[in-house]
Amino acid sequence: MAGTLVAQLLRRKPIVFQHHPHQGEELPRNLTTFQLMMFGVGATVGTGIFFVLGEAVPKAGPAVLISFMIAGFAAGLSALCYAELASAIPVSGSTYSYAYHALGEIVAVIIAGCVLLEYGVATGAVAVGWSGYFNELLHETIGWQLPDALSVSPIPGTDHVPTGGIINLPAVVLVLLCMLLLIRGASESAKINAIMVMIKLTVLALFSVIGFSAFNADHFSNFFAKGFTGVSAAAGTIFFSFIGLDAVATAGEEVKDPQKALPRAIIGALSIVSGIYLAVAGAGLAAKPASFFADKDNADAGLALILKEITGNEVWSTILAAGAVISIFSVTLVTLYGQTRILFAVGRDGLISKKFLEVNQRTMTPTFNTVVVSIVIALIGGFVPADYLWDTVSIGTLMAFSVVAIGIMVLRRTHPELERPFKVPGYPVTPILTVAACLYIMYGLAAITWVIFLIWIVLCIAFYWLYGMRNATLNHYTDPEEIAEPSGRRRDLEDERG
Amino acid sequence: MTYLVCYSPHKDDIGAIDLACQFARSEHDTVHALTVVPRGWETAVAGDTDRDFEQWAAQEGAASAAEALEVLARHTDVVSTATWVAGRSVPQAVCEQVDALGASLIVVGSGENGPRGYVTVTSKTDRMLHSAAVPVAIAPRGYRPVPDSRITRVTMGFRDDDASWTLLDLVASICARIGASLRLVTFAVRPRRMVVSAMRDDESDIFAQWKSQAQAGLDEAVTHLRDQGLVDVEAVLAQGRSWGGAMDSVEWGREDVLVVGSSSTHKLAQVFLGSSAAKILRNSTVPVIVVP
Repeated sequence: MAGTLVAQLLRRKPIVFQHHPHQGEELPRNLTTFQLMMFGVGATVGTGIFFVLGEAVPKAGPAVLISFMIAGFAAGLSALCYAELASAIPVSGSTYSYAYHALGEIVAVIIAGCVLLEYGVATGAVAVGWSGYFNELLHETIGWQLPDALSVSPIPGTDHVPTGGIINLPAVVLVLLCMLLLIRGASESAKINAIMVMIKLTVLALFSVIGFSAFNADHFSNFFAKGFTGVSAAAGTIFFSFIGLDAVATAGEEVKDPQKALPRAIIGALSIVSGIYLAVAGAGLAAKPASFFADKDNADAGLALILKEITGNEVWSTILAAGAVISIFSVTLVTLYGQTRILFAVGRDGLISKKFLEVNQRTMTPTFNTVVVSIVIALIGGFVPADYLWDTVSIGTLMAFSVVAIGIMVLRRTHPELERPFKVPGYPVTPILTVAACLYIMYGLAAITWVIFLIWIVLCIAFYWLYGMRNATLNHYTDPEEIAEPSGRRRDLEDERG
Repeated sequence: MTYLVCYSPHKDDIGAIDLACQFARSEHDTVHALTVVPRGWETAVAGDTDRDFEQWAAQEGAASAAEALEVLARHTDVVSTATWVAGRSVPQAVCEQVDALGASLIVVGSGENGPRGYVTVTSKTDRMLHSAAVPVAIAPRGYRPVPDSRITRVTMGFRDDDASWTLLDLVASICARIGASLRLVTFAVRPRRMVVSAMRDDESDIFAQWKSQAQAGLDEAVTHLRDQGLVDVEAVLAQGRSWGGAMDSVEWGREDVLVVGSSSTHKLAQVFLGSSAAKILRNSTVPVIVVP
């Protein structure tokens, strides 16, 4: 009995490709390194930088700049490790699917839990941040804004001060709007994505230029006031803003020479993103003392408020708020989409209800899945304050990346024969360094974050124990076709050879 | 019941007449060709110009009806008539005549702006699609069926939803009556992908699941039809990257006709042609019947 249990917990999903490949259906995308790099920049910038300063600066003081570098360093290393795992397991999907194929069922369940935090909670957090900018935009354009009761969560933040809120209505409405779009089958085209990236970069550049014009060196005195504990705690929060860099890793098979192109694209994207973040954080600190960020009243729409105070003019802050409102909307759409697709993959493996697999015949979207996910995320966005959300997202992501880094080391030993179009440079130092960096940042996160995270993972495992274990597709499939992957680039190559 | 075919002297509507006769032959029904000419201004005191205009319109109408009769005369086995009416708007006049004549189907041509061999929806047809209470059949541009041919196969655009199931029984009963075979086609067009996504090839997974659901729906429909006694039924899942590609992947013959439902059952949605139906129309090389 115990033997079979362990066997089930450790069993790996075999890699089988569908028997009847429909030739010519795959969309070939031959990306250049530069395009891939820009893809990474576009996917990363915007998730956190618009809101994270108000959360991170109070923790680290001016040394928040160091925190940005640490978080960026960890994110870059993680992305490299992730890229190797993605290239070794040529199936569709995300970290969860790769883990199921490479590391076994129970690890996949834990990763699924982490990734649900990464995308689900991130969507909630981004929606809350959007709400702040939306309200600021309302205030500056029509002179009226939603009262606190309708724009702030009722649960007190980490400072335990009553909020006077009932529900964060804009966040709820935003998530539900994105749900409608996704149900209708909306997708963001390359062109729209490029426009969104331009909007984000433009408003951030605007902020930096104006911020530095109000440079005050005194704001950087007492640089390490909060010590290294503060720096690592802030790095944990900030890590959230680097989520999306892993998108580059999943696109690795779409470049001609992944071994060369991937690290260049990842490091290039990371440098650009870090550069932008440092400029924004530097400009913020140059313009306002660290104490400004600690004030709760300045937490919402922080960047816009700083612009308003520097220039004494509402034009710039209105432009920034408008840019944020438009581009964060697209970030919410994309992360919500990612979340539904991850659950779809989990449902395909039978670890959650097959209802999550039902695709609407007209719109070709998993409707039930999208509605359930959106409602849960809307509740998170509407009722949980952002303080808790960001750190939770970070811990989930960091844990997933640590497992990935350990996973590639395990795979190198257990399956040295696997074809790996991309191998992590500097093995084994890079994966070990990745684990160390992730653990260091996680160590700095608050105890409450750890408690939330562990409870969540225990819940995931309990759910697996009660449901997934019995209903896993691997338990009862008779035909390999049932678990076959619908696509895979390498399969196409084999077809061509064959 | 009769088939109402719209005939205009200034357009090449011979294809529409041929199509209507093809239907009539299959169903042993009659064809009525209708020309709509502009109606003059209703003035209290009709001046010379107004009377001239009305006379001119009447002459045009009569000439056109005569011309239509000539074309119809080629189809000796089909009982046909031709008339003209005056009206402010062609679609509106046609819809009124549908009620007056008790027509069961409107047949129109494709105009001359679209590519040859393809169905094009003209502005007048578009209006009829939105407001007519009966199905509208559109002949591709330059449609020339085999002389004296009938409809031998009906292809129905099928999607596993309530509207399609309702239409299915109707189409099946017509097929049984005219002795045509029925082919159900679900068009599987790959969805667009989200450009920035954490998932690799996620739309492939969704598409694969959609296809297996669609195939299950088709199988269920075929079983349902066989249970009803219709033997000559087949089902095809036509795949492609675009609607055109999916349509091209299906084999089309010269005695084929394609039936699509215009949209969902929702009252408001009926006003608009479904987006899928519109894409099917644009890419069809065989006559299409749009059922409201």
